Order: sequence, then C-alpha cells, then structure tokens
Amino acid sequence: MPPAIHPVDLLQVLRQQRLTPAIVFLTSRRACDEAIASFEHRHVPIPTTRSAAITQVLDKMIAEYPSITNHPLIPTVQDYGVAAHHAGHLPSWKIAIEELMRQGCLDAVFATTTLAAGVDFPARTVVITQSSVRKDRDIMELTVNEIQQLAGRGGRRGKDYVGFVVVTPSPYIDLGPIANGLTNHPEPIDSQFVVSYPMVLNLLKAHTIDHIQPILQKSFSQFQLNQRADAYETKLDEVETQLETYGQRECADWIAQWQSFTLAKKRRSHHRLKTRHDPPEVSAQLAFLTPGRVVELSREHAIVLRQYRSRGQGYAMLTIIRNGGSIVEYPANAVTAVIDEIIDIAEAKKFPWSTPQSLEHAIETLENFPTRLRRLPIRVDQDGTENPILTETLSDEFPCPTCPSRPACQKDHPQAWKLRQEEHRLTKTIHALRTELWHRFQQHVEVLQQFGYLTPTCQLTPEGDWARLIRINHSLLITELIRMGAFDGIKASLLAGVLASIAHDDDRPASFHGRHPALVTTLGQVRKVAHSLAAYEEPPLLRWDIAAIADRWIDESTLPWNDLIHSTSMAEGDIYRLLARTLEYLSQLHGLRATHPGLADVARDAMDLMRRDVLQELP
Amino acid sequence: MTNDTLATQLAGLPVRLLHHLAKKRVPRHFRMGKNRLIQSLLTLSPDQQAEVAAALASLLQESAHLPKPEKPEKPAKPQRPPDTPSRQSPPHQRQTVPAEPAISTKALFEGIGVPSPQPFKPDDWQEEAIDRLVTNDVILSVPTGSGKTYVAVEAMRRAIEAERTVIYTSPLKALSNTKLTEFSQMFGADQVGILTGDRRDNPQAPILIMTTEILRNLLYDAASGEIDLRLDTLGLIILDESQFLADRERGVVWEETIIFAPAQSRLLLLSASIGNPDEVAAWISSIRSTSCHLIHHRNRSVPLRAAYLDPSSRLAPFFRTRDIAHGKGFVLHPETNRLFANYEEQTLGPRRR
Repeated sequence: MPPAIHPVDLLQVLRQQRLTPAIVFLTSRRACDEAIASFEHRHVPIPTTRSAAITQVLDKMIAEYPSITNHPLIPTVQDYGVAAHHAGHLPSWKIAIEELMRQGCLDAVFATTTLAAGVDFPARTVVITQSSVRKDRDIMELTVNEIQQLAGRGGRRGKDYVGFVVVTPSPYIDLGPIANGLTNHPEPIDSQFVVSYPMVLNLLKAHTIDHIQPILQKSFSQFQLNQRADAYETKLDEVETQLETYGQRECADWIAQWQSFTLAKKRRSHHRLKTRHDPPEVSAQLAFLTPGRVVELSREHAIVLRQYRSRGQGYAMLTIIRNGGSIVEYPANAVTAVIDEIIDIAEAKKFPWSTPQSLEHAIETLENFPTRLRRLPIRVDQDGTENPILTETLSDEFPCPTCPSRPACQKDHPQAWKLRQEEHRLTKTIHALRTELWHRFQQHVEVLQQFGYLTPTCQLTPEGDWARLIRINHSLLITELIRMGAFDGIKASLLAGVLASIAHDDDRPASFHGRHPALVTTLGQVRKVAHSLAAYEEPPLLRWDIAAIADRWIDESTLPWNDLIHSTSMAEGDIYRLLARTLEYLSQLHGLRATHPGLADVARDAMDLMRRDVLQELP
Repeated sequence: MTNDTLATQLAGLPVRLLHHLAKKRVPRHFRMGKNRLIQSLLTLSPDQQAEVAAALASLLQESAHLPKPEKPEKPAKPQRPPDTPSRQSPPHQRQTVPAEPAISTKALFEGIGVPSPQPFKPDDWQEEAIDRLVTNDVILSVPTGSGKTYVAVEAMRRAIEAERTVIYTSPLKALSNTKLTEFSQMFGADQVGILTGDRRDNPQAPILIMTTEILRNLLYDAASGEIDLRLDTLGLIILDESQFLADRERGVVWEETIIFAPAQSRLLLLSASIGNPDEVAAWISSIRSTSCHLIHHRNRSVPLRAAYLDPSSRLAPFFRTRDIAHGKGFVLHPETNRLFANYEEQTLGPRRR
C-alpha cells in the first residue's frame, strides 16, 4: 500500500528541510514502482546540472554492466533524481543505483522493507511508512531488530552531522511499535538449528556415530537448550528440597502409595454410583442390549437402536423400534425377554440413531418375524454389584487404612502429590531438552538407512558417499531422482528446467506462454517421486511455468534476455535469481563427476549455455 | 440532599469512584457501566442513600484538598490515539512526562549539514577489536553504519601482512559483489577473489569473498579429508551480518560454519545490534580454543533524530526530546499525537474506533 502522502509531496518536504538524500521504505515492490511513476505524472524534474552528474555516473556503470544500457528506468532517474531499489530489479541495476546513491546524485531511493539487509547504502534520512510487514502470507509487526536495521541507514558517517528517521503514515502503520523499535533494546536472537540429510551424511563421513553427539553439543542450539535445562534444574532442586521436608513415612514411597489408595477408593465409589439403580436382573441383561438386538416387550417384538442412561437418575434406558416403525424410548426393565437374534444396524450419532437403510431393514425384519423366537437364557448374578477385585485390593493390599502415619499422609498428600507431579514433569522436560538434537539426528539417520545411504552401523554406503555432495534444499529428492535414473540421457535444458522448479520456492503467480510436452511429463514424474518422499522431506512446488523459463533460456541459446523476460509476467530480478539458483544446483550435480560422469557433463553443458548475457556479468 | 443534586454529583465522578461507592451496597456493581451504576445508587433505600451521600461528600472533600498530580497530563490524554502505545509497551516503560517542554519542530531540524572533512581517527572500540583479533575471536555488535567495515578491513590488512589468508562471507550474493568491488579498490584486484556455487574468480587470492553456504561446504570437504589447501593458511574468517544466525531457514549454516571453523583461524563476527550478543559470545567461547571477545555498544557515530510527517505535509518531532533515548521508554511529541489521531480519525472513521 502506498503511503498516505503523495511521494512527490513527500520528497518536496524532505528537500525543503534539507533531509535528502533519503531512503523511503515502502510495503511492496509495486508501491516503489508506482512512487517512481508518480514523479513522471507530476513532472517535477531536477536541474539539468544534476541530471548531467547522474548521466556521468550511469555511463560509467553501463560501461561495466552492459545489461543496463537500455534500462527503461534510466530516463526517470536522470530527470527526477529518484529510483526504486528492490528484488524485482537486476542486480546490476541495483548496483548502479547504489553507486549513484554513494555519489550523492539521487534525492530518494524507494526500497521495500522486506529486504532491508540488502540495502547496503546510507542516506541522510530514512522514511518509515509501516509498522508491520508481510511475511509468509501473514502480516507481522516489525521487530525491534528490523526497525533498527531500517533506521540504521540514516546518517552517513563523515557526510552528516545528524541523521533522521521520518515516520509517515500508511494503512499499515501504528506509531507505538515504531517508537518502541527506535528506543527499545533489540530482541535476543535464538538458534534456528535444523538437522538436514546432507548434514548427517557429511558428519558421518568425517566422524563415527559415537563422536556425533559431542559435535551436536557444540551447537548454539544446544547451548541455548542447556541454559533452559539449567534453569529447569534449579527449579527441580527446589522441588526436591520441598519434597524432602515431608520426611520418612512407614512405606518407601508414601506419595505413590497414598495416590493409588485414593484412586482405588474413588473407583469403588464410582462403580457403586453407576450401578446403583439397576436391579440385578436388569444389569445382567444390559450387556446383551446392544443396537440390533431383538427383544420382547410384553407381547410384541422390537429391535434395540441404542442403549443409554437417563440424564437425571441414571436409569438404564433403550431406544427401540417397534413393529410398524415407531421409535420409542423404554426403560431397560420393560424388556421381558432377550431374543437370540441380532440384525445388522448401522449406528448413527443422532436421532433416529441409525441410517435410514438399516431402519427400513429393521422394519422389514420385524414384520416377517414368526411369533415365537428363541429366548436367550440370562443368568442373574445375585451378588454381582460389588467388583470383587477392587474390594480385595482395598481391604487387603493397602496398608494405608491401618498405617500409623495415615493422618499425616492424608494431610500432606494433596500438596506432596502436586510437587511429585512437578518433579516428574521437570525431569522429563530436562531430559527432552538435553537430548532433543540427538534425537532429531537419529531420526534422520534412520531415514537415510532406510533409503540405503547409510549402513546399519551408520557408515556411508557408496550411494551416501556421493549423495553427501548434494548440499541444497530438497537434497533427498534430487539424490533419489539420480538413483532412479530419472536424469539418464536427459537434455541439458530439461535438466535445468527440472532443477529450477525444484529450487523455486515462491508461489507468487506468474504466467508463461507455451507449454512444452516433454517438460510437463518429466515434471509429472518428478512430482510423483516428490510426493512419495513427502513423509521425509517437504515436496517442492515444481511449477512447470518456472521450469519452462530455465528450459527456454538454455534451449534457445541466442535468445536475448529481454525476450525471455517478456515471455513471462515475473519480474526480471526474480528471473535472474531463479537462474542463478539453478546454476548453483547444476554446479552441485557437476560436483558428482567422479561417480556420475554423464550427468556431470550434462550439468556442465547446461551451466555453460546458461551463463551468457546478464548472467555472465556478475560472479 | 435531593435526588437530583446527588445524581449530578455522581455523574461528575469517575467510574472508579462510583464503584467504590457502590461496594457492598449494590450487588454485582462491578458488571455495570456508569449510567446503570448511578441509577442503582439512586434507587437504594433512603438510609443507604444517606450513607452514599456522606461518603461522596468526604470523597469530594478529600480530592479538593489533595494536589492533583494528574492535572498537567490531562489535556494530552484525549488526544492520544485510542490504541497507540499503551498496548505495545508495558506501562512501566513509559516515562512520566518530564518537566521541560517538548522540543519545537524548528529545534529538531537544527544542525543539519555536512561536516568538514576530518582526518580519520579510529574509535577506541575499533582499535580494541583489531588488537583483540590477534589472539581472540571477536564479536562486533554495534549499530549499522558505525564503522564495522573499518575493523574488517584493518584486520584483513594485518592478516595479509602476516601472510595468512582471509575469508569474508556475506549472506547475500548481492552484498558479496559490493564487497568485491570495495575490497578490490582497497587491496588491488589481484588480492581479492570470489567463490560462488558455480564460479571461481581468482581463487588463489589472499582475500576470498563467498556466501556463508560456500564456506560451510568448504569446511565439510576439509573435514571429510578432501583437504582444501587454503584452510591451512587461513588466518581470519569474517562473518558479515551474523545476525543471520537467527534466520529461520539459513541460520543453521552460520552455526555449522562457526562449529567447524579451523581452530587456528580467528573469527570476526560483524552483527547489527542484537539483544543477546553476550550469549553468542559465551557460546563461541565455550566451543573454541580461545575466548571470544565481545564489543557491544549502541552509540551511533552520527546521531539520529526522529520526525513525524503528516499526509498534509506538516512535520513534527516524533518524540518529546530531540535525540532518541535508548532503553528508557518514550514519550511521543504532543503534536505528533494530535496529527496521528487526526489521521486515524479520517481514515478509520468513527465506527471503527
């Protein structure tokens, strides 16, 4: 979203107060581009002497980076002394803008907040228009670190007495977070350590499995986990001293003993409560009165649909379907006899408690029943109300009722039990913190063993020995594809296309004309493999339009850069980064020349074909 | 006292005091709003009402005697935008309004200008960092633009003089390119090389620039026996933008690099201000052969001031004070509060508020 103030007015004010040059941080690339365009609309050119200075610097940059010779934004920069600087531009163009800024030729650069780290040039003034940014499809408030990173560009050493932060509202602003960010201490940073497959392979190449745990112990992640564990241990010590104050009792572990005693008591009383209303003949029947059971009510037959307890008194109740199809609620003691017959009934959660089909089936069966059916003999247990096992435990096994320290136990137990639970929880947490990384490492080891990159004794198999050289995201997918022979005899352009679609993790929409059947089929196969690995590795997006860009760039070796960027709606900076990343992936495949010479050669070819035009300018 | 006068007096009281009066007299008074509180206080039995009136009289008297500490703050209060700072910053962080008047816009913009060129003299902390690097690892956590690069360059110079090589890593390829140009100008193009995933320019040069991922890969290769010769003579590793340690996807690479960095080479971590540089230093000290020295301050070499620019092109100071006070809470300038409240009112509309 653009700021509330018009960019031209904004710059006007900055110029009046001698606050230029300035970096204006805006929410999106589009806002930056629109800000630049608005200078053309209002037509407020800078003096020709300054335009000349800009032209001079630009000419020098063009000599070094020919790709920006006819950059469409050159006239705007020359005439108005403003520029946009964001990831949608080519790196060479961004370098040119940075150089202009360093020479003091520009009045303002409009940049996006998301890549503040990439804005490596200072200005007198920094303009902040937002207090929250978009991150992974979420709107997040800027952290103190981020705000200070933005504000830090203000004030050039040796060129300014004082730097400025100018805050101007846009729909994404609140003053509180910004004021807080400017004045407060930055947040502490936390380790983001993750175990990856290449990491496991590389570590096990150099060390045996016994040496791994000490290495993981060296990580910042473990350092921070240990600090947390230490804090918990202090707490644990406190809890333990508190527990000690209760002193010795008759039995070794009185807390556990008393706990099971109370539990047993509770269960017994519960047991009683539940069956209190049932006379013995009913409770003996209940086990048989399941849905589908045919029963006899005074003179007719009926089918049980469900058994439940009445809300108030807890009487055993039945929902029953009678001959003729009426559904009625009955107390269980209305059942005069249980018939030795069960029909299939599909149960449902709501009235009428079964599916319409099974209801029809039930009605049909009821109509066709003969008048006499075989009754089920049910033995009524006269003294079955008390659970014999519980009674026994209560009377015999627990020494508590007669124990001399019973009153003390009874009094202390609630508090002591809480402490005991706290103790268990803390011990568990500490253990988890200390072994978390190792545990995650072992999980990865198991997967790699399963796929045959590691032997059961955790040494690298020949497969693992080359697979460890693939040190990029989605490494498991790529090594599996190589092992399956998916890249055997593949064309250089197709290989680059597949790798590009694996490397690309941005789901911003783009379009591309022309669909390449070979590419689509190959990607379809790759997608199948990726999904079969989904349990072990997040599948990449595998967009065919992305693959097509890389494919075309290699396939048509005389295609000019401008034609490539016009064939898609992606920004040219994004295409550049996509191809640069593909180059990186290709170079990893090229690293496999010892074991996979054929594939390495294709990768080499692809890289050679790729490195031309813009992609050749920068290392 | 008639009911009406009581009613008007009650209406003049803040809700807090109304609750105080209603305590033990009106059931469930804490759930009521002001109007219902007054109503229920007025419908009490006559003798209870007399009690309320007496309590009210004593309350009023008390407040009349007391000097009112909140008075000077009051005019500012309604101007504060409804949901501005108090939510984000805990109340104890906000300063009480200082006695001195807020700074004027004119004063804020005084002293802008270009200082006359002065002979460069390194700051004490820069000297300290360079000296410490001889024997220790060093973390520099200082504000952006206060001269981290000077330390890096000086340390590189010394390493080259001692015939050791230097590796300089940055998180972004774009930054690598900038540094390549910068260092080539300082040391000469033959002294600086760059390694990327697929290209090696001048890889035998004493200064090598690369992304941190490339260095991590080199270290892995070295650990598994495919020795890269450069690592033997490697004297200094400079990790720029080390706050990437906390990057969600790539932070692990910085950790791996620091863990596997050769023992004989020194580490120099350049980082923007972070909250716990001491913790990072303690960590590095705990895993490396020498202790890690932390240099940490928040003084900017060029002081920073903040202003608020209203969409109507009006400028106002952002804070009450001219300079940005660090770590002591903040008070926004009343003019900024007023302008921003206006802006919110115009854009949000009355219903949203």
